[in-house]
Amino acid sequence: MSWWLVSFRRDGPARYISHLDTMRVVQRTFARAGIELALSQGMRPKPRLSLPLPLPTGAAGLDELAVVEVVEESAAALLPVRLAALRAAAADGLAIERLVIAGERPRPQAAAAAYECRLDAPGPAVDEALAWFAGQPCVSVVRQSPKGRRAIELKEYVCELSASPCDAGTKLAFTLRYGPGGSARVDEVVAALAARLEIEPVVLDLTRVRVTWQGLPSRSFAATDEIAPDGHVRGQRR
Amino acid sequence: MRSLPKESPGENRLQHDLTDLLARVARPGRYVGGEFHARRKPGATPRIVLSYPDVYEIGIANSGLQILYAGLNDATPAAAERAYCPWPDMATLMRARGVPLWSLESGAPVHEAALWGFTLQHELTYTNILEMLDLAGVPLHVAERGEADPIVLGGGPGTANPLPLAPFFDAFFVGEAEGRLAEIVAALEAPTRAQRLGRLGAVPGVWLPHASGGRAVATGKSGATMAGNGRVERQVFMGFAHTSPVTEPLVPLIEGVHDRAVIEVMRGCTAGCRFCQAGMWYRPVRERPVAMVVEAAARALRSTGCDEVSLISLSSCDYGGVREAIAGIRERFPHVRVSLPSLRVDSAAVVLARLGDEQRGSVTLAPEAGTQRLRDAINKRVDEQAFAAAVRGVFGAGYSGLKLYFMVGLPDETDDDVAAIAAMAESALRNAREAAPGRSRISIAVSSFVPKAHTPFERAGFAGEAVIRRRQELLRQRLPRQIRVRFHDVGTSLVEATMAMGGREAGALIEAAWRGGARFDGWSESFDAGIWRRAAAEVGIELGGPAWSSTEALPWRDVDPLVDDGFLRDEGARAVRAETTADCRDGSCTSCGVCGGEIEMELIR
Ligand code: SF4
Repeated sequence: MSWWLVSFRRDGPARYISHLDTMRVVQRTFARAGIELALSQGMRPKPRLSLPLPLPTGAAGLDELAVVEVVEESAAALLPVRLAALRAAAADGLAIERLVIAGERPRPQAAAAAYECRLDAPGPAVDEALAWFAGQPCVSVVRQSPKGRRAIELKEYVCELSASPCDAGTKLAFTLRYGPGGSARVDEVVAALAARLEIEPVVLDLTRVRVTWQGLPSRSFAATDEIAPDGHVRGQRR
Repeated sequence: MRSLPKESPGENRLQHDLTDLLARVARPGRYVGGEFHARRKPGATPRIVLSYPDVYEIGIANSGLQILYAGLNDATPAAAERAYCPWPDMATLMRARGVPLWSLESGAPVHEAALWGFTLQHELTYTNILEMLDLAGVPLHVAERGEADPIVLGGGPGTANPLPLAPFFDAFFVGEAEGRLAEIVAALEAPTRAQRLGRLGAVPGVWLPHASGGRAVATGKSGATMAGNGRVERQVFMGFAHTSPVTEPLVPLIEGVHDRAVIEVMRGCTAGCRFCQAGMWYRPVRERPVAMVVEAAARALRSTGCDEVSLISLSSCDYGGVREAIAGIRERFPHVRVSLPSLRVDSAAVVLARLGDEQRGSVTLAPEAGTQRLRDAINKRVDEQAFAAAVRGVFGAGYSGLKLYFMVGLPDETDDDVAAIAAMAESALRNAREAAPGRSRISIAVSSFVPKAHTPFERAGFAGEAVIRRRQELLRQRLPRQIRVRFHDVGTSLVEATMAMGGREAGALIEAAWRGGARFDGWSESFDAGIWRRAAAEVGIELGGPAWSSTEALPWRDVDPLVDDGFLRDEGARAVRAETTADCRDGSCTSCGVCGGEIEMELIR
C-alpha cells in the first residue's frame, strides 16, 4: 500500500459538481485507470480518498489536491505510467496534473486559498465597496447551519482583496485564510460586498487559483513542479 | 465562462447565458453534460436530441436511452445529443432570460434538431414533455409546427397507448427501436418536413397520428376521431440475444438515481402477471448468452469505474444463466457487487442475491396480493410456503431488512384480500424473528393498481379514489405497529389511470394541467392534486380514467402489441375464475400470439 498526493484541476462541466460528486468522479477515474484504491475497515468499506479542501459547487479549481491510498507498493519509476493512465481515464473537466508518493499518511490542511470571481457591477463601484470593506473595523455575516446560527467575522479570514476590469463586470480577487475554526465562505464574502453594491448576491465564474497547504511531506509539489522520468518531483519545494 | 462544453466553443452560442443561469440554480451539474463516454460529433447530420422527460438524475439512469444514444452515435451518421427536463428553478430563469432549451453535447438549441425523441416511461412525466417543448420554443401542437421545427417522436412503453399524447407528437415508434435506427436516420435526409414524416411513416413500427390517408379512429368516450397512418405493429428486436449490451455507457459527473453499470441479460418476461404491461409488451423472452453477459459486464466495469453491476431485465432471477453469470463476474471482479433489480418470491432467489453481494442491507420481495385467490387471479404464482421460505431465507442469510410490495384496488378485490396483506406481513414478522431474533426490520409499500393497455386487465377500470382510500385505511388499522407502511398517493394514481386508459381527449387534460402549473407529477413534493382537479373540471374529464366495457372499441386498438386480443380476453376470464396460467418458458406455449415468423423465444437453455 502507498499514499499518494494527486494534484488536479477541476474546470469545464466538472466545475458544476459538488464536493461529494468530485470525490466520486476522482474515485471512478482511478478505477478506470486500473489503479486499485485501498479500502477502509468496517461494515461498509470505503475507498481511502480525501479531498482536504472542498471546492464549492460552481467553482473551477486550478490547484486542487487529493490524498489517496493505493493498494500497490508504488515505485517512483512507475508514476509516469500511472499518471498517463489517470489522464486517459479522467472525465471532461478533470485534469490530473501530478502524482507524488507521500510515504507516511499525509494530513494536509489548507492555510490559505486565492480565489477569483466576477461581480456584476462596474469597476468604480466595486473599488468603492472594497475601500468600504478595508475601512470597517469588522464585517460580520450570520451563517445558518443545521447546528444553528453563528456570526462569522469576515475580516479575520479575508485578505488581499482587489478588483480589476473584466468582460462582463468586474473581477474580484481575494485570499481566504483557513484556521482551526474554519474560514469564511466565498458566498459570504460576495454577499457582504453585494449588499454594499446593492446587487444580487450571486457568485459568478468562481475560480480557486491557488491553495497553500500545511502538513504536506517535505517532498511535495507546487505549480512549477514537474515529474522527472524517474517519478520524482523536481522544482520548488515547500 | 471558460468551457461548456469544451469540445465546441465556436458552436456554443449559449455559453454566456448559461454561466449566469448556472450560478443561480440548485445542482447546476444537471445542465452541463460532460459525462465520461459522452459522444460528440460536431457537424454531423442529422442532429437528433433524445430526452427523458424528467430531471437529469432520473433520466441519466435510464438504460433504454443509453442504448439508443450509443446506437445512433456509434452506428449511424447521426449526432445524437440529450436534453432532460429542467427543474422549475432553471425553467423560471430560462423563461425570464429567453434562453431556449439546449442539448448537453453541443449546447445548441434543441429546436434546431431534425428529430426530438422522447422516451415515454410513465404517465406522470407527460406534463414535463409539454414543459420541455415550451422551453425549447417548439409549438406544443403538431398543427402549429413549421418546416424549421424538429419532428417530435415518442417511444418506449408509453406507446402502448399513445393517444393522450397524440396532439403533441408528430410520430410514435411502437416497440424496440434498436433494429430500425438506420431507417429512421435515413428518413430524416428527405428535404422537407412533410417528406421526412412520410418516409418515417414507412418505417415499420412508426405510427403517424396526424397522417391523412389512414382511417379515422374513434377514441375516447367523447367519440373524438383522429386519423392516423393505420394499424402499427409493435417491433421486436430479434438481434437482442446476438448483440452485446452497451459497454461504454454515459458515466455522469453528478450521481444519478442508480450509480452502477447495467447489463441487460434478458428482454421480455413470460411469467404472465396479468396486471403487468411490460410482461405483455416485451414478449417474447430473449436471453443473452452467459459468456456475452460476463464479457460485457467486465468491459462495462472497466470502462465506467463502477463498483457494482446490475444484471437487469423484467425478472432477472428467471434468466437461464443467472447463477453462472454472477459467478463469472465475481470470479473476475471479486470486490464488485452484482445486483439483481427485483427478486422472485422464493428462497432460491435470495440465494442468488447472496451470491452477488456480501453486503447485507435489505431485500425487496413483491407478493402483490394478500390471499392465494387474488394472487392466482393476477397470476402471481406465489404460495404461502414459498413466501415463508423466502422470508426465512432473507433473514437467515444475514439481511437486516425486508421490504414487501403489495397493491390495492386490484380487480375483484375484497376487504378480506386487503386484510390478508396485514396477516401476511404479520407472519413475515414471525418468520423473520425466528430466523434472526433481534434484527428484523420489515416494511411494506402499497401501490394502487392502475389498469394498463394491452393487458388482461385493460378493461377492468380503476377502483376509484374512495375505494383505494378506504382499503388503505383498513390496512393501516390491521397492520402490526412494528411494520412501517408507505402508501402510494392516490392522487397520482388517479392521474396515471386517466392517462393510461384515456383516448385523445386526455391530451386536453395534460395541456390544461400543464398550463395550470403541473410539473414533475411523479415527485411527491411537486405533485398538486388540486391542479389536476381544476384541469379535469375545465376540460370535462373525470379523473380515474374511463372503464371500457367488453363491447367497446379500445382507443389503442390500432397499436398491435402482437399479443392476441383473444389471449388477453381469455386471461381476463381466467382471472375471474382465479385460474393461473403457466410460464411458457417452461415448455408449454399458451398461445399468446407473439411468436411466429422470425419472432420466437430465445432461451439459453
Ligand atoms: S407465443 Fe407461446 S411461446 Fe411465444 S411468448 Fe406467447 S405463450 Fe410464449
